[in-house]
Amino acid sequence: MTEVVLSGTGLVKRFGATVALDGVDLSVGRGEALAIMGPSGSGKSTLLHCLAGIMKPDAGEVRLLGQRVDALGERRRSELRRTRFGFVFQFGQLLPELPADENVALPLMLGGTPRREAVRAARVWFGPLGLGGIESRRPGELSGGQAQRVAIARALVTRPAVVFADEPTGALDQNTGHETMRLLVEATKHNGASLVVVTHDVDVANWCDRRVEVRDGRLVDPARAEV
Amino acid sequence: MGTVLDLTWRLLRGGGRRGMLGSLLTAAAVAVSTGLLLFAVGANHAFGVRADADAWRHPKAAAGAATAVEALSTDHVRGRAVAVVDLAALGGGAPTPPGMPRFPRPGETWASPELAKLMRSLPADQLAGRFPPLAGTLGRDALVHPGELVAVVGRTADDPALTGKRPDDFGLGLTATPTRIAAFQTGAVSPLSETYRMLMLVASVLMVVPLLVFGGAAARLTVARRDQRLAALRLVGATPGQVVAVTVAEAVLTAAAGAVAGAALYGLTVPAVARIEIGGGAWYPADLWPGPQALLGVLLAVPVLVGISAVVGLRRVVVSPLGVARRETPPRMRAVRAVAFAVILVAFGAVGGSLSGMGRTGITVLLVFLGLAFVGINLVGPWVVALIGRVAVGTARGPVRLLAGRRLLDDPRAAWRTVAGIALTGFVAGFLSLLNPPAGDPAARTGRIGLSVSPARAEAVADRARERLAGLPATIRVERPGRGADDVPVVITVTGGPAEVDRARTALTGVLPGRTTATSDDDRSGDALLADVRTGALTVLAVSFLIATTSAGITGASAVLDRRQTYAMLRLAGTPLEVLDRARRQETLIPLAVLGGGSLATGLFFAAPFALGFGVGGALTLLACVVVGVAGIVGASALSRPLLRAVTTDPAPRPD
Ligand SMILES: Nc1ncnc2c1ncn2[C@@H]1O[C@H](COP(=O)(O)OP(=O)(O)OP(=O)(O)O)[C@@H](O)[C@H]1O
Ligand SMILES: [Mg+2]
Repeated sequence: MTEVVLSGTGLVKRFGATVALDGVDLSVGRGEALAIMGPSGSGKSTLLHCLAGIMKPDAGEVRLLGQRVDALGERRRSELRRTRFGFVFQFGQLLPELPADENVALPLMLGGTPRREAVRAARVWFGPLGLGGIESRRPGELSGGQAQRVAIARALVTRPAVVFADEPTGALDQNTGHETMRLLVEATKHNGASLVVVTHDVDVANWCDRRVEVRDGRLVDPARAEV
Repeated sequence: MGTVLDLTWRLLRGGGRRGMLGSLLTAAAVAVSTGLLLFAVGANHAFGVRADADAWRHPKAAAGAATAVEALSTDHVRGRAVAVVDLAALGGGAPTPPGMPRFPRPGETWASPELAKLMRSLPADQLAGRFPPLAGTLGRDALVHPGELVAVVGRTADDPALTGKRPDDFGLGLTATPTRIAAFQTGAVSPLSETYRMLMLVASVLMVVPLLVFGGAAARLTVARRDQRLAALRLVGATPGQVVAVTVAEAVLTAAAGAVAGAALYGLTVPAVARIEIGGGAWYPADLWPGPQALLGVLLAVPVLVGISAVVGLRRVVVSPLGVARRETPPRMRAVRAVAFAVILVAFGAVGGSLSGMGRTGITVLLVFLGLAFVGINLVGPWVVALIGRVAVGTARGPVRLLAGRRLLDDPRAAWRTVAGIALTGFVAGFLSLLNPPAGDPAARTGRIGLSVSPARAEAVADRARERLAGLPATIRVERPGRGADDVPVVITVTGGPAEVDRARTALTGVLPGRTTATSDDDRSGDALLADVRTGALTVLAVSFLIATTSAGITGASAVLDRRQTYAMLRLAGTPLEVLDRARRQETLIPLAVLGGGSLATGLFFAAPFALGFGVGGALTLLACVVVGVAGIVGASALSRPLLRAVTTDPAPRPD
């Protein structure tokens, strides 16, 4: 494997009596696309949240380029998420009152880039993602697939090290979903970013470089996990 | 119907903690609205009761055979007015006066509890000596307010007090010449109490309009939160009728609970409200209850209004199941709103100046214009919000101003609803600050007593007064007739303070039968009215601020609740909470500053024709309003900060 960008070792997370993660070791290489699969409730989202510094694991550690992430305070983790990570969720992540280009520019502006410059940088992403001409539409005026592509642009605009996606096409029909997923994988690759994507869709997983399977909070060998 | 109710109940119960919190917010808003509405209605009722309670003292000549003679005068003790009703029976069948078990016999006095207390506590030569011996205490039916000083004096029909004419008081209703009556008057008759009722009506408009705006906002708040779920109901095939029924049932149930809580809340505050002194005294708490029908009416009307407001808010969902899931570019606020507002301003500018000379019509026209001003402010408000939004977006360089401006532009009406309360209060404050007369100076009181008598009898009356006042620190002078318009040729100057003045008044009893001695200082009805206007104005302001801050707090909280998912997502993606919070503050504070200031100026404009003087008091009131208003909004919006934190700490947002 190439250089490891992100790694989790011995990750444990409990919610009361529920053990959502039960000792997970996982690493993601530079530019690698990793699919996380598994049945509902198995701990996929929890794993993603721990890796992305959204949650603190109860035990184990998360490192980004060798640096501890889970030990940082909320403020530093928040900054890290803004600057080093990108996120694509299932829905609802775009601000409904901002036009598409400003939605994409928002992370840059939060980082201190002046608005004009940020919007210009944001608009660069629209053409390659097939969004040309809809820059000033608002999320309510976009189709689900278009909205997800805007979200992809927003995740990539800060040139993050890792993009996290939790069932990013879960709310789309299969064709649109596949198309969107291909764009996501290609665009992250193209930018040299790694991708961690939670999905139920085997086709989607197949486009990724590697996949892992979660069962009851543990990683299992994908080969053995086929049911 | 059964299924609808069942579904509604499950929606209410199944909303989870946040859904419950939302319903609670609505119920709280409705409770505050109901309480304040009851206050407005109750205060009107109380003024009505007072006006009625005062009616019997103003005699009306009998059309047929008279059974009694009634006269009224106003005496003073320690600067407080004492209403003195002289009564004499003409043969049998004299009507029983209100608050008394029987008609008074000649030579006895019935006093109100407060007057009786004073008569006992002051030396007899200062008060009790003015009246025949006490025979009983007047009941509350005879009294305007609990602390009122009233004396009913029984006389014979040929008593000099009941035969002479009494001086005209130019319709103030403070004196009445002996009149042969068959019954005591009922209903409101005195012009002074009519004035109070009119002023109370103005106050009601000033309070109720912001209240309605607030109530509407509260009602829409439930709908906004239900939009998503109801759209889902539509998608799974509920008929529009069912969706409407469920929403209305939910809104009405919540509102009914709120209304009952509001009535209870009002009940708790009645004892405190009853202490507000207006028209010379505090209130009978019972009068502040609007009466069973009106109470029931309010308790029914509030949920119905909330239900209607909910239906109006729901139209979108019912028309198109996708209407709420998809958010389109909002229609622009049309400039027609600004034009309408300008027309109202110009129209008032044209007629305002002549209103104060038009008496009752003037008041009616003013009421209409006040209503129009509220409508106008409500129309222009969202337009101004959109304008502010456009400017903010145009000039934004960083994320905070951009977020705030976009949000204002996105839904100017919602942003307006957050600040509408304060803006309308700004109008009220501006309007009232000009009606804030400088307080009369009690220290300027002199010991001048005037005896009104025809010039021909002046010397004789002065001699009798000299006799009576022997040994008291008083000088008696006879003024030459023709000087001054009033016929008060005998002027007595008493030195030594109020006790000596009261001693002199008591000593002078009967010098002019049926006429009480009047001093220019005692005739403070004008001052008192102004002071009451001030008290009323402050009360209205307090109420408005209560509405405004509650409204700001509730709309602020619900704005956070409505957007919890987006906020949570932004937070996940690393957006600092401060940025969200600052944007949230700006989207309230900037419109607040502009619109609050604008409404204040509008209020000043509308009050300008009736300005009673804008002294230090007015400026201070205005300043205090601005400070309280800004502090209220800032405080109210600070309250939703923990809420913002709470909704964004959930690391895994889910659709609900
Ligand atoms: N905030 C929470 N509080 C309590 N329990 C939680 C919480 N989040 C997750 N869990 C529990 O942890 C377990 C793993 O949840 P997780 O969301 O990671 O599953 P998942 O694999 O993402 O499922 P899905 O495919 O349905 O999204 C589940 O049993 C879930 O109920
Ligand atoms: Mg999940």
